[in-house]
Amino acid sequence: MILTVLLLMTQVAVQDPRLERLDPETRSLVVSVVDSARAAGLPSEPLIQRALEGVTKGAQGPRIVAAVRRLATDLGTARGALGSGATAPELEAGVAALRAGAGPQVLTQLREARRPPLTMALAVLADLVTSGVPVDSASAIVLAFAPTARDADLVEFRRAVERDISLGAPPGAAASVRALNTGIRSTTDAAVPPGQPPRPPSRP
Amino acid sequence: MLDAGISYVEYDGFLPSGAASIAPSVRWDHPRGRGFVSARGTYLRFESGNRSLDFSARGSFFVPLARRWRGELGGGVGASDYASIARFSHGIVDARIHLMDQSRGGWLATSVGRSSFGDGPRPVAVIAMGVWLLGNDASIFASIDRSFVGDTAYSDLRSSARVQRGGIQFDGTLGARVFSTGAGQGVYGEASALVPLGRSTALIVAAGRYPTDVITGSIAGRYVSAGFRLGKLGFSRPARPQQPQAVIPYSSGGAAGSGSPAGARLEIRTRGGDEPVQFTLYAPGAVAIEISGDFTDWQPIQLQRSATSRDAWEGSFRIARGIHRINVRRDGGAWMAPAGTTRSADDFGGEVGVFLLP
Repeated sequence: MILTVLLLMTQVAVQDPRLERLDPETRSLVVSVVDSARAAGLPSEPLIQRALEGVTKGAQGPRIVAAVRRLATDLGTARGALGSGATAPELEAGVAALRAGAGPQVLTQLREARRPPLTMALAVLADLVTSGVPVDSASAIVLAFAPTARDADLVEFRRAVERDISLGAPPGAAASVRALNTGIRSTTDAAVPPGQPPRPPSRP
Repeated sequence: MLDAGISYVEYDGFLPSGAASIAPSVRWDHPRGRGFVSARGTYLRFESGNRSLDFSARGSFFVPLARRWRGELGGGVGASDYASIARFSHGIVDARIHLMDQSRGGWLATSVGRSSFGDGPRPVAVIAMGVWLLGNDASIFASIDRSFVGDTAYSDLRSSARVQRGGIQFDGTLGARVFSTGAGQGVYGEASALVPLGRSTALIVAAGRYPTDVITGSIAGRYVSAGFRLGKLGFSRPARPQQPQAVIPYSSGGAAGSGSPAGARLEIRTRGGDEPVQFTLYAPGAVAIEISGDFTDWQPIQLQRSATSRDAWEGSFRIARGIHRINVRRDGGAWMAPAGTTRSADDFGGEVGVFLLP
C-alpha cells in the first residue's frame, strides 16, 4: 500500500504539469503511454502535445488516449525506419511522412541517401503528399534531391510547388516540372537562395 | 509518312513556347485485315533550344470474325527523352473484344503493363469500354476507361467525331477526367482539320487542350499547330506537339493545401536565428481571432488587430524549426486550419493546419 502510494507520488512528481489539463483518468492513461514511450527511447513532447491538442479541441478522454497511443506507435515505426539515432524532430517529420502515405522503406532510403538532419526532407515529403502530389512521385523526387540538395533548396522547391498548385497546376505535374526545372537536372545550382524572389516558370 | 510543322504550346507549369517538329511514321496493315504494326517518332525543338525525342510502336492481331464478335490482342512500347534530363518508357499489352455490325459496334478492353520514369517502374492496368457509330461521311466514338498507374487512378470519358466535308477531314474530341486520385480532373478537347493539297500532301491545323497521359508521361497542355503531311494520306490524327519532358503522374488541383474555408489566411514570416516568428492572419469581418498550436502548448492565444489593417491580426511566437500544427478560431467558433497551411485531418475528427518552419 505504502509502496503504491509512493509510486503514484513519484509518477505525479515526474509527470508534465501541462497534463494537469486532462481529467485524472485520461491523464493517468496518457502518462502511462508517455512513460512507456520514454522508456523505449521515444520523444515524449509530441505525445504531450497531442494530448493537449485533444483537450483544447474538447475531445473525449478515450479519443485523446487513442490519439496519443497511435502517435507513439507511429513514432516507433519512424524510428525503426530512420534508425535509433534519429532526433525527435526527425521522428515527428517521419511520422508526418508515414501518415501522408510514404512507406517506412522510403524513410530508410532517405536516411541512406542523405546526411542528417533529415527533418526538412521528411517534412517536404509529407507536405508534398498532403498537397496532393502522388506519394510515389513525391518520394522519387525527394530521394532524387536527397544526396546533394540543401534544406533551403528543398524548402524553396516545396514553396514553388505550392505556388504552382495555388495557381491551378495539378500537384503531380507541378512537383515533376519543378523538380526538372530546379532539382533533378542539377540539384543545387538552379535553386533560388532563401529570401530571393521565386524563379518564374521557364520555357520548355 | 512524314509530318512537319510548327506549334505554339503551353504545357502546364511552363511558359508558352514556340516549337518546330518533325514526325516520321510507318504503318503496315495485313492484307486481309488480320492486324497491323505501326511506329512513330517525333523530334521537337523548343525556342529555348531544348529538344524532345519520342518514339512509340504498336501492333495488333485480330482473330477472325465469329458472327459479330472479334478478338484483338495487341501491345505497344514507347520511350521519350526531354533534353537528356528526363526519360520515360512504357510497355503495354492489351486484349479487346469487339462486337460489331455494319455501322455500329462496341468493345471491351483491358491492358496491363509497366510505365517507368527514371528508375521507378510502376504497374499499369486499364479497363475500358466504348461504342462507335459510322456514317457515310462521319463517325462518332465514345468511351470510358479506368486507369491505374502506381498509386494513381483516374477515369476518362471521351467522345470524338470525324466529319468529311468538301474533301476536308475534321476531327474533334471532347473528354473529361473524373474520379481521379492523383491524375487531375477537368474537361479537355481538341479540334483539327486535314486539308489535302495534292495526292500525297496535306495541310494540318490543330488546336486544343489535352490531359496528361500518365502511362506515356506526356504533360497536359494546350496548343495551336500547323504543319504539312507528306506521304500516304489517311485518317490518322494530326500530330500533337509532344511533351517537353517525361513526367510522373498528373494530379488533381485543389487538394488539401493553401485553400481553406476558414475565412482566415495565415502568413508566417521568419527573420532567422532566434527571432520570434511573426504571424499575420487575414480574417475580414472578424471580431476576435484566437490561435492555438504546439508552439502555445495548445493554449488559445488571442491575436492583436493590426495597426495598419482592420482585417489583419498579428502575433509573434518563438518556434523551433520543423513541422508544426496550428488551428485558428474566429469569433469563438470552431477550430479550423487556416489557409496558408497544409490542411490535414487531426486525430479528433477535425482538421489541423500543418506548416513547415525552415
